[in-house]
This record gives sequence, structure tokens and C-alpha cells, in this order.
Amino acid sequence: MSITSRASELGSSLRTPYALRRRAYAAAKRVGIWLGLPVALVTAWWFASAGSTDFYWPSLRRIMQAFAETWFGPRLVEDVLPSLARLAVGYAIALLLGIALGVAIGSSVRTRAVTEPALEFLRAIPPPILVPVIMLFAGIDDGMKVIVIVFGCIWPILLNAVEGVRATDEVLTDTCRVYGVNPLRHLIVRAASPQIMTGARQALSIGIILMVISEMVAASSGLGFTVVQFQRGFQIPEMWSGVLLLGLIGVTLAAIFRFAEHKILGWYHGSRDADRR
Amino acid sequence: MLIVDRLSKVYDAHGRRVEALADITFSVGEGEFACVVGPSGCGKTTLLRCLAGLLTPTSGTATVHGKLAVVFQEYGRSLFPWLRVRDNVGLPLKDLSKKERQAKVDTALAAVGLTDAAGAYPWQLSGGMQQRVAIARAIAYGPRVLLMDEPFAAVDAQTRADLEDLIRDVWHRLGVTLLFITHDIDESVYLGQRVIVLSSAPSRVAENIAIDLPDERDQLTTRGDARFVEFRGRVYAHIQKAKRDHARGT
Repeated sequence: MSITSRASELGSSLRTPYALRRRAYAAAKRVGIWLGLPVALVTAWWFASAGSTDFYWPSLRRIMQAFAETWFGPRLVEDVLPSLARLAVGYAIALLLGIALGVAIGSSVRTRAVTEPALEFLRAIPPPILVPVIMLFAGIDDGMKVIVIVFGCIWPILLNAVEGVRATDEVLTDTCRVYGVNPLRHLIVRAASPQIMTGARQALSIGIILMVISEMVAASSGLGFTVVQFQRGFQIPEMWSGVLLLGLIGVTLAAIFRFAEHKILGWYHGSRDADRR
Repeated sequence: MLIVDRLSKVYDAHGRRVEALADITFSVGEGEFACVVGPSGCGKTTLLRCLAGLLTPTSGTATVHGKLAVVFQEYGRSLFPWLRVRDNVGLPLKDLSKKERQAKVDTALAAVGLTDAAGAYPWQLSGGMQQRVAIARAIAYGPRVLLMDEPFAAVDAQTRADLEDLIRDVWHRLGVTLLFITHDIDESVYLGQRVIVLSSAPSRVAENIAIDLPDERDQLTTRGDARFVEFRGRVYAHIQKAKRDHARGT
């Protein structure tokens, strides 16, 4: 098949009204599958808990009320945003540092051999245990929390980047050498990006966990701190609403991540599909 | 121009010593089209990697005068899958202004008949088209010397015939010095002005045959030409002899 007919076929199949309708239907079906179970679960919770008089298991209605009162106010600025900002800063530092170190380590067989045992050891330390340790020298303010997040997030990114760099196709490396293309800029990070993304996805959930834990141990603001405060003050609906909010934040961040991954790795998924055909 | 002088390459790793190239000497003149052919496993790719500067020879020298471009055998792996066709072709031209680069990319893609595929990703194209993209990238780079390592080994026979004619066309138009490595005897005789026959590893130049077929070549008439058949027979005989000598252990 010539390229012209291929291209025009592709173009036309996307534009006919019939194809548009089919795509809209497919999208609606996807949303339905995606939302179906959550909606069912929330509905079940709503009716099962309706009229609950149990102090520790308030009705969902009561929790929703508390949610609106608690989080759509000054707390949004005082607790939610600072938490998210610390997560964003820590995650970004871990991403940059992890990729930079991963590329440096992965590019050299010797460096990799020397650093591997140390990296495995550092990765094996559960990051929450470092909260009290880091508190000793970094205090209990934002710096400590960011350091904890960086320390937890960096390992999956770094180790995956090392693997990705190591697996760079040597024909592409040769191509860069022959054509005078800088492999650092144009090859290595891009070639490793599928693995780096895998690490970054793991790091995101670790980051959220550490954001909360660091605030639960020592803080005067933040989501983790607030939920613990509510629990200690027996403000049970407020406590539950904090748990819900954390879940929603996790889902939202995962969706943002998936969107970014789709943009960055579109070529990767496409080429893998092409190989399978 | 390309000069190979007493080139040898010995792989010495993990206690195993493999002599790939024993003693290779030949040269390809300015603007000449030469083919290297040899029995499989005779170190053709080792030779190419030494010429391209990707491998350091054990002794001897390989000198390339002027800018060098290489078309690799593994076309699918030598294109950047995250770049569209036009960016793949333009990548080695980063130093040029955007406009100049654009012009060179367009010319090169037109020369290989892929103008319509500029916006596609390499993996959306067939194997033959991918190899055309690799050829376009080499053309756009503006080399004085072009090395090709069994570029058509993995495409089907019809595509291969088209690509052979395309390469002769490119060579005529650019006036580059072209060294084409292949294991296909017919292809080596059809394409070039000279065939350099290598012996089995550790390889040497077994024969250096001038192919004085007319410059105007055609898949049908040239391959049916009595002189073509004669050249093919000569190259074939040399390769068979090289294999026999190798089997006898000389």
C-alpha cells in the first residue's frame, strides 16, 4: 500500500460522521465502565449508613457535610495547598535527581557495578523511619518533609533510569556517533523514558504516603496533621472527610500522571502496538 | 575517497581470540561505487564498523576523506522511534537554521519518494519505507562518502529491486563515494563499478573485480546481459573457493 493511500485512509476514517459517532459511543462506554463501580459503591454506602447513630461510623451524608465545611474554607489554603506544594517540590527534585544520577550511573558499566550494592541498601530502608532521623538535623518544617519525600521517591526513579539507560539500543548509539548527534540530549533520556515513567509512577504513590506520614509525625499544618487532629479531637465526620479527600487527591494525581504519560510515551505505545501486529 | 591499508581486527575477550579481519587493503576512488561481498561470517560488518570509526582496528588504518554517512542494516533500530520521519532526517542537521534544515529534509525525502510520509512515525511505515527514511537521512547529511551495511538484507525481493535502483539514482545525483556491503552476489555485480571479494574469516581481499557494465542499468536487461552473468560467475567462483580454502583450514 502506498503511503498516500495509507495516510488518506487514516484521515478519512477519523472524520466521517459515522466514525465520529462510533468514537463518541466508545468514549461514553469507557466512562461508564470507569465510573460504574465507584458510583455503585458510594450509593451503597449512602443508603447503608443513612440514619446511622454510631459515633464512629457516621452517615455518608454527615461526612459530606463535614467535607464541605472543613475543606472549602481557609483549610484549603492553610493545610491542603501546603501539603501538595511539599509533595510537588519533593517529587520534582526526586525526578530530576533520579534521572540525572540514573543516566550517570547507567552510562558506565563500572560505576554501575560499584554503586549497585549501596543503592540496593539505601532503597531497602523504609523511608518513614527517616522522619525522626531527618527531624534531628532538618527540624520539623517544610525542609524535613521535602527531604523525606525526595528520599522515598528517588529510588524507583533512579533504579529504573539505570535499567533504561543500560538497555539503550546500540544501533541508535552508533547512529548518534556516525551523525554527530549528542546522545545525552537526543538519545539516552528519551530511550530510557518508558522505564523512567514506570519508576515515576511508583514514586508518585510513595510520595503521597510520605507526605501524609511526615505530617502525622511532626507538623503544625497539612493534611496528615489535620486528620490526626480530628481523630484526637473526636471530630469523626471531619476525620473521615480527610480520608476521602486524600483518596480523591490520589486519584486526581494518578489521572494527571496518566495524561502526561500518554503525551510523553505516545511513540512507545504506538511502536509496541505496531510490533504486535 | 576511502583508503583501507593493511587493516586487521582481532577480538580478544574472555580468553577467546577471534581473528575477524586478517589483512585488508583496498581503496575506493572519489565518486566511485564499490561493493564488498563475501561468505557469511567473513567480517563484513566488522570492516564497516572500522571504516565508520565505531571500532578501533587492531592494526592498519582506514581513512575516509570527507564527511561520512552510514546506512545500517537494522533500519528499524537505527531510526529514533520518538521522532517523526522529518525530524529523524533532520536530526543530524541541528547546526543549520530551521529554514535550511527544512529545505534539506524536503529535498532528501523527495529523492527517496517519501514526501507524504514526513509526518509519520517510523514504526507506522513498512520495512522498505523505513530503510528509505534512513537513506534520506544519509542524503540530507550531505556526505562525501556513504557506507551501506547490507541495507536491503531484510526487505522483500521486489522492494529490494526498487531500493537498488534508488541507490544507483542517489549515487548518480550526489556524486558520492559509495561503499556497499552485501552478501548477495547478484546485488554486488548489479550495483557497483567494482566488486571487492573477501575470503572467509580471518578475511583478506580475495579478488578485486572491475565491473565494466554500462552505466545505464536496468533490473531486467542488465541482469540478463551475458557480461553480467559472467561477472556473477566469477564472483561466485571466488567465494566458493574462499569457503573451500577455509574448510581445509588454510
